[in-house]
Amino acid sequence: MSLTVSDLEELRALLGDDGVLASKAALFTYDADALVLDRHLPDVVVLPRSSDEVAAVVRWAYARKIPVTPRGAGTGLAGGATPEFGGIVLSVNRMDRLLRVDPDRLLAWVQPGLVNLALSHQVAAHGLYYAPDPASQQVSTVGGNVSTNAGGPHCLKYGVTLNHVLGITAVLHDGTVLTLGGEALDAPDFDLAAAIIGSEGTLAIVTEICVRLLPKPEAVKTMLFDFVTVEAACRSVSAVIADGIVPAAMEIMDQHTVELVEAWLHIGLAVDAGAVLLIEVDGPSISLASQVERITALALAHGARSTRVAKDEAERAAIWRGRKSAFGAYGRTASGFYIMDGVVPRTRLAEALETIYRLARERGLEAGNVFHAGDGNLHPHVLFDANDPAAQARALDASHEILRMCIAFGGTISGEHGVGIEKRSMMSELFAAEDLATMAAFRRAFNPDELLNPGKILPGGGGCGEGSAAHAHLHAQGDGLRGGVPAQLGGMAAGSGDAEGPWI
Amino acid sequence: MTIVPGILTERAVDPERFATDGVAPRLASRPRDRGELCEIVRAAARDGLSIVPWGGHCGIELRSMPQYDLAIDLSALDRIVEYVPEDLTLTAECGVTIASLGATLAARGQELPLEASHATRATLGGVLATNASGARRMRFGSPRDRILGARFVLGDGTLARTGGKVVKNVAGYGIHRMLCGSRGGLAIVVDASLKLLPAPAARSALIYEFDAAAIADASRWADFACEEPAALTVVSSSIACGARDDANQRAALPGATGQRPYWVVLGLEDEPERIAELRTLAVKRLGEPVLELAGADVVALWQRLADLEDSGTPRLTFSGSRLTPAALASWVARPAGTGCVFHAACGRLHVFETTDHAPQIEQFLAPEGFVRIASLRARGDDAQPGSTATTALRQRIRAALDPAGIFALGEHWVRSSG
Repeated sequence: MSLTVSDLEELRALLGDDGVLASKAALFTYDADALVLDRHLPDVVVLPRSSDEVAAVVRWAYARKIPVTPRGAGTGLAGGATPEFGGIVLSVNRMDRLLRVDPDRLLAWVQPGLVNLALSHQVAAHGLYYAPDPASQQVSTVGGNVSTNAGGPHCLKYGVTLNHVLGITAVLHDGTVLTLGGEALDAPDFDLAAAIIGSEGTLAIVTEICVRLLPKPEAVKTMLFDFVTVEAACRSVSAVIADGIVPAAMEIMDQHTVELVEAWLHIGLAVDAGAVLLIEVDGPSISLASQVERITALALAHGARSTRVAKDEAERAAIWRGRKSAFGAYGRTASGFYIMDGVVPRTRLAEALETIYRLARERGLEAGNVFHAGDGNLHPHVLFDANDPAAQARALDASHEILRMCIAFGGTISGEHGVGIEKRSMMSELFAAEDLATMAAFRRAFNPDELLNPGKILPGGGGCGEGSAAHAHLHAQGDGLRGGVPAQLGGMAAGSGDAEGPWI
Repeated sequence: MTIVPGILTERAVDPERFATDGVAPRLASRPRDRGELCEIVRAAARDGLSIVPWGGHCGIELRSMPQYDLAIDLSALDRIVEYVPEDLTLTAECGVTIASLGATLAARGQELPLEASHATRATLGGVLATNASGARRMRFGSPRDRILGARFVLGDGTLARTGGKVVKNVAGYGIHRMLCGSRGGLAIVVDASLKLLPAPAARSALIYEFDAAAIADASRWADFACEEPAALTVVSSSIACGARDDANQRAALPGATGQRPYWVVLGLEDEPERIAELRTLAVKRLGEPVLELAGADVVALWQRLADLEDSGTPRLTFSGSRLTPAALASWVARPAGTGCVFHAACGRLHVFETTDHAPQIEQFLAPEGFVRIASLRARGDDAQPGSTATTALRQRIRAALDPAGIFALGEHWVRSSG
């Protein structure tokens, strides 16, 4: 489809001249999220400022049967914000205001384009923060987080976005504006908001969000342990949980990753270790000493060779920097890598890692693992030579097998990036036909013409050979990419001061 | 009405057991497993029978509810399907009772922190269907926070599943989350996977009795919201002294003497050092408690508080976002009389009044930021209409899950605003 000059004029009448982008350059900017090689140009990009403006655009599009793809910061790895069928990309970037903070009641209303970390910064003066902390939090938006029900390293203790959203204002497919939930923990209405959270923009466009804020923990202790084997590190994780401790975060880097990170950053990681385990506990300072003691004892009992407890904020930051730099470190050595977002039950982590290494090895590839061990969310990186199409194909094959393993182990194919375009063909391996038919019927109840973010999540949505489309999804270094960081994210990575991979 | 011999007759049980207000459904069945449950729903759909799924008969009192034909007794679906303590997750069928689930988890030092009245009868399915949670809701969440996935039967007998059993999952739609609180009006949850918690290192309950002025004194309570106690609950003494326990024996709440009009408990669940720290703060702000409980007695107290919400007593429920006892300032300034339970830490207020008084009470509490929420025992005709757009959306959702509208409480789901 293409929009006429008068269509664009109508949109400009709704949003103002600066709210409508139709230049070639602008359209190219919004043709994909971080799944960069699967690109589809939108016909127009709109930048509304309010719920009413979103409603006006959606009504306008509904009348003309034009698809609308909402977009936050575009850091998703699954193509959830890619306008596969063209039409309108509705960017929430100008809806970035903190509307109201109520420090006494520990809540705030925000617009969806507000950057996750900016929210925490803006409420910091009240001693409060917003708990969900996806690694992309420096750039990803609260609205985008809502659409993928995002969590972060600290979701082990604090939960995911769902657990921190009290209410939403949402625009339905026909432009109707609804408020669902509210400011209290329990709302009079039934919980439609809980279903909209995590629906990747396919049920409604969320335009205002009431979030819970938490008092900043009084103290934080960050520990680092190294192990001869990654299995031992995984067993320590299970042991800590079985002992009744819920740390704020538990993250593992395998040997491959540790080597790359240490060679780059020189932060004192043990390069001969099979794995490094980072555990963080937070809360009232009086509670932490005994937790650190118990965790250290458990880690030692499970084979930790050394333990390190960050003495101050600088050391803590260095430890976290090591963890967060893994993505950039891969980019320094491999010209291409494919990142997955699978989840397995925590108790099967060791087995899962072994399988990942085997699947990569069998295909002549290397795999690195750096992951949220506390919640079983794996982010295997399968590395390959981007100039070798056969290696790309083998990497894609390995990644499919890895996700199949996650399913076989009782896990899932996406922990935090969503299904989007990338993984929809695998939904029929995760769910039975009846489950998918039920989900399709449910989506039709909200989005009968499938104009809101069409084609996403459910299999068959793309209308073309998804297997071959997936082939193009590899995050390869090449033209327009910098240091292994996809082009759209290059600016963000540069902004953060180094090549940290901020989105996993 | 002619019933074709088959699964409905094979699994028939006495419909009188499911009578409400003296009106029994025409039929009742008790499936032995989920296959039979699907078969029963299919048979009911074929015969045009409207259904109400039954758990422990504690959450829902169906006064004036529309005529329905078939009660499905889910008590035989009571298996714990999978429990891996090291994963802190569990999958169980809907008919398992909260008490037996609690015992299984306690044996491994874990818990599902969702209280419901009559734990020995209340079922997991009922807790999910009524979105039940207790005094500790602020800290530990409600069913929507704990549910990871579910299998459910749709109105045409199809068995479907959404979510999974891992703690982080964004593959597909969260229909299982929406079913929390849907009262069995959209689908019947067959089994659910839930996120558990380790039992806290220690538990303590500090019990006080206060007069109205102390409840209303905001400065006294200001520190507590940010300290995240497990519970902070105010109970009017008429309720605290006249409480009944799970066996319906009259037994006052621990420490309740009735000498002052309000009984208050501050619940602490943490490391022992932290509990000691909070106790010091409590003594500074509130004085010495009249009674202190620890360990299993605290768990029992949470259950007693949940039992105050039993189905025998008419009750209106409100939710507010001011998470301090001082939110009751206006309420406690009224002439005493109406009993209440206020879980201040989560903003939930139960007022023990009949729905006849709902409009005045709603009007009184609205300026204090309280809105009335779904009273699960509300009369079917008591529901206030939701907005047209919401109603239309709900109608489409109901049609997607239950096209023929055989789940009798679905109409209530569509129409109600609370």
